[in-house]
Amino acid sequence: MNIQFKKGVLELCVLSILTRKDCYGYELVNDISKNIAISEGTIYPLLRRLTKEGLFKTYLKESNEGPPRKYYTLTEEGLKAKNQLTTEWFCFVEGVNNVIRGEDDNE
Amino acid sequence: MLSGGKMIMNKSEFLKELSSLLSSLPSDERQEILFDYEEHFSVGKENGKTEDEIIKSLGSPRSIAKQYNASYIVTQAEINPSPSNMTKAIFATLALGFFNLVFVLGPFLGVVGGLIGLFGASIGMTLAGIAVFFQGALGPAMGSLGPYINIPFALEANPGATIFLGLGLTALGLLFSIGNCYLAKFLYIGTVKYLKFNLKLIGR
Repeated sequence: MNIQFKKGVLELCVLSILTRKDCYGYELVNDISKNIAISEGTIYPLLRRLTKEGLFKTYLKESNEGPPRKYYTLTEEGLKAKNQLTTEWFCFVEGVNNVIRGEDDNE
Repeated sequence: MLSGGKMIMNKSEFLKELSSLLSSLPSDERQEILFDYEEHFSVGKENGKTEDEIIKSLGSPRSIAKQYNASYIVTQAEINPSPSNMTKAIFATLALGFFNLVFVLGPFLGVVGGLIGLFGASIGMTLAGIAVFFQGALGPAMGSLGPYINIPFALEANPGATIFLGLGLTALGLLFSIGNCYLAKFLYIGTVKYLKFNLKLIGR
């Protein structure tokens, strides 16, 4: 699939996962790359950008298996962005599906 | 060992290359970014992955660094607006992928449009030459074409000159077409070279 297209959807994926639970970077990357073929390295720049935009906050938490990990948690603003993007996404998908199946509301 | 034309790196080489590619960022920011990738490596290893596997799925340090650099430059342009910062930002963003759209598709369409125009002109010139030729050769017999072809009175009065003008125009138009073919070929080769250069620039 087109790389640009995937990158656009990545933001929604990250926001959705964080709505369910706080995650550390590897967890997010893993959850996404399980489902979508992407270069995993491209998720970290996105996380950093969205953190700077105030959609997430980060905190360090001890782990059982090694050094503390950086966790990402959704802010109020992030939740709003997630809801808006989700609506847009379903609207978009429905529109594309209509076009693909050749359905037209006007007919 | 070689894989896809690239040296296989280990973790420290990967981080080192990433660090050097991020040299335009402030050092604290660069450290934070590298920290994220170090964490990624250590968690990956805890999950039983090898360095090679982790590096492979991360993608190239170049494409990763490009994203950090672009977002840093864009932020700088936002915080500190100036024409030069804005220009840098626009170009850094374009380099990410819009690059292809604007800098490849744009000029390509322009060049193709120009070529179509030139071919049109050459065909027009050839046809005009043929028309003028027949007007001169057949003269009044071509009365029906009269309304469609306008020839200066001086030529109409001199059918011989009109015939030669027609022949000349036709020949010129054909030469023009041949020239355009060469131009098209040259541009094609140039475009291929440019695309290759572009691919190198964009990475993957």
